[in-house]
Amino acid sequence: MMNLIINECAKLFRRPGTIVMLAIIAVLAAGLGGYFKYDEVKHPSQENVHWKKDLQTELKEDRETMASFGKSNQNMKKFYERQIAIKEYRISNDMAPEAEQNVWTFVRDTKGLISIVGVFTIIVAAGMVSSEFSWGTIKLLLIRPTSRVKILLSKYLTLLLFSLMLLSLLFTVSALAGLIFFGLPESSVPHLAFTNGEVVERSIFLQLIGEYLLSSIGMLMLATMAFMISTVFRNSSLAVGISLFLLLMGDMVTKIFAGSFTWAKYVLFANTDLSVYFDGVPLVEGMTFSFSVIMLVVYFLIFQLLAFGVFSKRDVAA
Amino acid sequence: MKTVLSLKNVKKSIKGKPIIKGLSFDVHEGEVFGFLGPNGAGKTTTIRMIVGLMKISEGDIVICGKSIAKDFAGAVGKIGAIVENPEMYKFLTGYQNLLQYARMHKGIQKEKIIEVVELVGLSDKIHDKVHTYSLGMRQRLGLAQSLLHDPKLLILDEPTNGLDPAGIREIRGHLRKLAREQGMSVIVSSHLLSEMELMCDRIAIIQNGELIDVQNINDFVHQDKVSSYVFETGNLGGKEQWLRDKWDAKILDDGFSVDIAREQVPVILRSLIEYDIEIFGIGTANKTLEERFLEVTAN
Repeated sequence: MMNLIINECAKLFRRPGTIVMLAIIAVLAAGLGGYFKYDEVKHPSQENVHWKKDLQTELKEDRETMASFGKSNQNMKKFYERQIAIKEYRISNDMAPEAEQNVWTFVRDTKGLISIVGVFTIIVAAGMVSSEFSWGTIKLLLIRPTSRVKILLSKYLTLLLFSLMLLSLLFTVSALAGLIFFGLPESSVPHLAFTNGEVVERSIFLQLIGEYLLSSIGMLMLATMAFMISTVFRNSSLAVGISLFLLLMGDMVTKIFAGSFTWAKYVLFANTDLSVYFDGVPLVEGMTFSFSVIMLVVYFLIFQLLAFGVFSKRDVAA
Repeated sequence: MKTVLSLKNVKKSIKGKPIIKGLSFDVHEGEVFGFLGPNGAGKTTTIRMIVGLMKISEGDIVICGKSIAKDFAGAVGKIGAIVENPEMYKFLTGYQNLLQYARMHKGIQKEKIIEVVELVGLSDKIHDKVHTYSLGMRQRLGLAQSLLHDPKLLILDEPTNGLDPAGIREIRGHLRKLAREQGMSVIVSSHLLSEMELMCDRIAIIQNGELIDVQNINDFVHQDKVSSYVFETGNLGGKEQWLRDKWDAKILDDGFSVDIAREQVPVILRSLIEYDIEIFGIGTANKTLEERFLEVTAN
């Protein structure tokens, strides 16, 4: 198995396209840092001395909204409970919301680039099986004393490794760029999390890693889908096309449906953003964290069963 | 003689249509076995079933005592193959390509790779990217790939496709050597009949998914007792009629040809000398494999 993964990595990283992908991620993350720095120098942010007063006003509004919406919508109520608790905690502990960019706020900003990581992962996923067919190398690959399941599994694991590598590259370059451009915050700022009705301080570093991983779920599901389409139809353009379209439009379309139909909660994209269960409101009322996890597992299994089922049965005739 | 490959009533249907209708034959140790048939006869399908690219619908294929249906890895591990054109990863070097395949078999050392590369005569270019290779070099790399794990059975689907005459001759030499010196069995499918004639010990002919004939190549070509002889002579001096009537000969520009048994040759010769006709030479015009092949598959 190890040897198979080494083989896949060799095929992946010895192609110039892959190296270009790595370079683009690094350049984008660093470039974004440079742009933010430029922006900050041009329009320096001012420290808000009245932050306590502002928070008080916000608190008052939040309480009113909670009172009016909270009864009908359980999820809304939770969201505002959390907001209020954190704001109160800030006032009583004299912790101003961060006004200046620092390394951690920047790393949080570059989380948006995960969709680029998603695009690249999907492109690679879509090519993994179908290119073996279009190159004709599948014939020499499948006449080895190795089961087809193992060959496909090694390809999928390599895909996960590649995706994880892009993510850690994004995180590391962002952290380095943030450190160079904005530096560490003056006093260490913990992340304020709201669990079991209490506000607790958490390490911002671990929190960010968690946020990165949570934000990658959607892209990994779509990459798995692209991998499945590429295996079943042996067509990488089809796999890239469908998956990229869904990556860019899936969220939006699902949100439109979620407004009027409750079955929208069974759509993959209603469940990919698990962070709503930590701070936010789920798309459809009544959705829970475990519901979403089960939905994700079900989709994942369907994709994999299709991919592995078709790949191990297929007659290679081309 | 040990049997290396054995097909047992192998059938294959694709979408309900029978493509292979029950093939059975054996390939012995150290022989070069030719696989002949017109296009669409099922040659490639059969080869793909032997190497595990296609599933068998019915029957079984046994390689060195291991059933491909029950022990896939055990059976396929004994096979080295080139299926149609050897497609390689073009963005890798020849050596990196071989490494890919070496990692998929157990216990192939670097020395073995180098040895195989030398055997196929690719040592100079092995560290170049494959996209710079000519078709002949890719064929050699394909052969190297199939020999890495010392297979008991080598399967070559159209091995001389796109090779120049020198390349074909070289491949032929390699195959003969591997079969003779290492006891490797080789299955060759080709539509180049003259090539098959030079390479193979036995040939199987299939048509419409059925086995028509398996024979030793010499028996196959020289099956008839009567052969065709060409007499090169001077002026026949009015004896043409006698030749036509008595021997059913065909009169040529510089002689004639007859279909006769071997014993008749001196009889004709004696008569010709008696008639004082000049004789410059006698040759046999054997039926080629091609003629035989067309004869067998005609109906």
